[in-house]
Amino acid sequence: MASPIIQLKNVTKEFKVLNRHEGLAGSIKDLFSQDYKIIRAVDNVSMDIMPGEIVGYLGPNGAGKSTTIKMMTGILKPSEGTIMCNGVVPYDKRTQNAQNIGVVFGQRSQLWWALPAIESFNILRDIYQIEEKKYKDMMNLYGSIVDMDALMHKPVRQMSLGQRTLCDILASFLHDPAVVFLDEPTIGLDVAMKSKIRELIKMLNKERNTTIILTTHDMGDVDALCQRIVIIDKGKMLFDDGIDKLTETFGAYRTLSLSLLSKKEKADEARMNELVQKVTDVLGSNISDKNAFTVSSRDDQIEILLDEKKTNVMKVLNYIQDESRIYDMHLNEISTESVIKKIYEGGLS
Amino acid sequence: MSIKKYSSMIRAGILDALQFRLALIVTTVGNLLYLLLIYHLWKAVFASADSPVVNGMTFSDTMIYLVFASSLMNFMEMWVVWFMGRSIQSGEIACDLLRPISYRSWRFFDGIGENIVKFVTTFLPTAIVVFIVSKGAIKLGSNLLFFVFSAGLSLVINFYINFMVGTICMYTDTIWGINIMKVVIVELFSGATVPIAFFPDSIKQIVLLLPFQTIVNTPLQLLLHPEFSLMERFTMLAPQITWFVILFFVSDWFFNISLRRITVNGG
Amino acid sequence: MNMKKGILFYLRIYRKIVVQDIKSKMSYRADFIISMIGMIFTNICGALGFWLIFQRFPSIDGWNYNEMMFLYGFSLISATPAQCLFDNNWNLRIVVYDGSFIKYCFRPINLFFYYMSEVFDVKGLGQFLFGIIAVAYSWNKLSLPFHWYSLPLFIFMALSASLFVIALLNLASATCFWLVHSFFALQLSNTLRDFAKYPITIFGLTIRNLLTFVIPVAFMAFYPSMPFLRETQVQWQTYLTPVFGIFFLYISYKVWMKGALAYDGTGN
Repeated sequence: MASPIIQLKNVTKEFKVLNRHEGLAGSIKDLFSQDYKIIRAVDNVSMDIMPGEIVGYLGPNGAGKSTTIKMMTGILKPSEGTIMCNGVVPYDKRTQNAQNIGVVFGQRSQLWWALPAIESFNILRDIYQIEEKKYKDMMNLYGSIVDMDALMHKPVRQMSLGQRTLCDILASFLHDPAVVFLDEPTIGLDVAMKSKIRELIKMLNKERNTTIILTTHDMGDVDALCQRIVIIDKGKMLFDDGIDKLTETFGAYRTLSLSLLSKKEKADEARMNELVQKVTDVLGSNISDKNAFTVSSRDDQIEILLDEKKTNVMKVLNYIQDESRIYDMHLNEISTESVIKKIYEGGLS
Repeated sequence: MSIKKYSSMIRAGILDALQFRLALIVTTVGNLLYLLLIYHLWKAVFASADSPVVNGMTFSDTMIYLVFASSLMNFMEMWVVWFMGRSIQSGEIACDLLRPISYRSWRFFDGIGENIVKFVTTFLPTAIVVFIVSKGAIKLGSNLLFFVFSAGLSLVINFYINFMVGTICMYTDTIWGINIMKVVIVELFSGATVPIAFFPDSIKQIVLLLPFQTIVNTPLQLLLHPEFSLMERFTMLAPQITWFVILFFVSDWFFNISLRRITVNGG
Repeated sequence: MNMKKGILFYLRIYRKIVVQDIKSKMSYRADFIISMIGMIFTNICGALGFWLIFQRFPSIDGWNYNEMMFLYGFSLISATPAQCLFDNNWNLRIVVYDGSFIKYCFRPINLFFYYMSEVFDVKGLGQFLFGIIAVAYSWNKLSLPFHWYSLPLFIFMALSASLFVIALLNLASATCFWLVHSFFALQLSNTLRDFAKYPITIFGLTIRNLLTFVIPVAFMAFYPSMPFLRETQVQWQTYLTPVFGIFFLYISYKVWMKGALAYDGTGN
């Protein structure tokens, strides 16, 4: 098997932050304050990433995602542990590492604001010392994927967010890097543009066998692009495996939606809460494992999230039917998004 | 009700200004360095003069005047032009106009907290030091009252000038060039760098007709000349009050017609 | 893989970026013209201040109006490289505080160079023009001798002096890597630069030493002007200008880079 292109070994990063005080007196106090606390942004994370992989790096805001990315790109140095990226220790040889990576931040363009994209590409060609032939090949490849004429001659500042992101992604692949880091590449874009960007990323990954690390909050990105996901929260790694393993690892979940009210009855908030309570009690008295189900309400429906390893749908329906009439029902597979949401909330694991 | 609205804005400005951890010290050092510079400069200037009194001013008169002038300018420093220019360029001004308070008042009260902090942290200490060092060269009495009143007017006049210059940014799409011209004009023609007393007579007559001299020269004349009669004092205040009234109306009018222009052009 | 990049590599990139930058600035003509006018206007008002003083007083510590204009002009010329080539320092605190400075950290070239190359400030040329006019005017009025070596020496001295202006600007702007409100440091550096316009003989010995050894503002115009203004009174500091300038610039570069590399992308 090939050797990993990126390797993190027991990486930990700590920050020192000043405790700020509130109000007028507080801000005067802060002038002289030496009151610091240590925050562990990344806590003993290890992973191997293979060439050509697209890895979704997920986690809630402030989980430590961007700190990890900054360490992999050489901007930050880990407090403990080591990182190897393409045979280089990125934080020791930042510029050398930069030659082999591409980076895109969804919200801020790295292209020259006032220049047409083609001029930015020209400058990047010199900066990365890209050979004439390689540059031409790359531009030909780009031309076969997107409509370059519409993009290249407009100053970046006049572009729409989608066009800008498109250009930024193209620019990050221009020097044919081994690894590209994409930070929320589809943030703020409409559906059509999102799928266009995803197509582009997929194409470039396939054509150049580029390793891609993708951080995102958009599960659409994950579903479209990633075979493997890594989930991090509060600095700790929670999950690192194929996306298909996600439901296996965290239980076989399905959602059961029930209508317990006739059309005439009014489904106001109080009534729904009452029903949620009632169903919870019924199931609680029949099923001993309290983690097997979660009851909630959505509009006039009662939703029951079931772990089918611990109980089954027919039993649940029976228990409820003994107590109440069921007018209508649906059974849905849980989405990746809901699983991940549950992981963030600490409901699983 | 509306007093509460303004006072909370002022409080926010004060809080913000106090956040400047080291900035206060750095600014103070900068001001002291500036004073050091003008002290030596004017000492050298007066050393070359034939008599110790030039145009009715001695070296120490000049120093007292310039120290007060620089700390007045300091306390009245505003960022209105930059704020306005940026919000015009980014289009944010459309949101600002939706506030339940006129744009001009909002800009004024938004910035004045910082001016108050500066008054307390730079102007007052400077004034106290000058009084101590000059050993009572400045008699205090009713002149203080006139000074405070006039300095208050100066602040507002300075704001109106800034506000009008900020409004010009609606037409020019540029901030730096417009702002820097305002800064040097105000500094030179207010008498903040060279006392107006030293200006050649023909130029002096023109400068005294302009609004800029009312920002620094008027309040300082009132403070530094306790011997002025009531009549003289009101004669000094008259142009300032006139300019206050003129600018009050003109800045509002100018802003409104300019605003109409950008809404017509669709920003 | 050895990616040693020489000065030619950087010069080529710089030329490319600057040409593009100027081209795009020309398309915002109003901004360009108004900034240029603003710059020259500022310089004229600065000169007007001197003129006003000299309407009432014959000299400043034995320095006459034309000599003062020479110093003033020289200080504008030596400030030109900082103004034109290192003006992006003024934006540094903004990109550092909003976190976008991070985008400069991903390129395989020198960070300081990459950041500074982004902006070429054309209006600095207006300042340069006024400085040249002021120096030429006073040179003529003072009937200063013009030797064969005068012009190369002047260029050499102006360039040496410019290193101090650049260094001071770098240091002042680099404070934003550590301080939350660093604009005041930039303002302070501007105040310090005001000292450059005056002959340091107006100060006492302590301040003179301070301006020579601690905050070497006297090298921005006074010492390097002496071979032209007062040929016979040249002091040893004048000869030290280039060496000291390189040293001071190097220190400022190191400090700037240290701050930039300590930057964690979160805005402190």
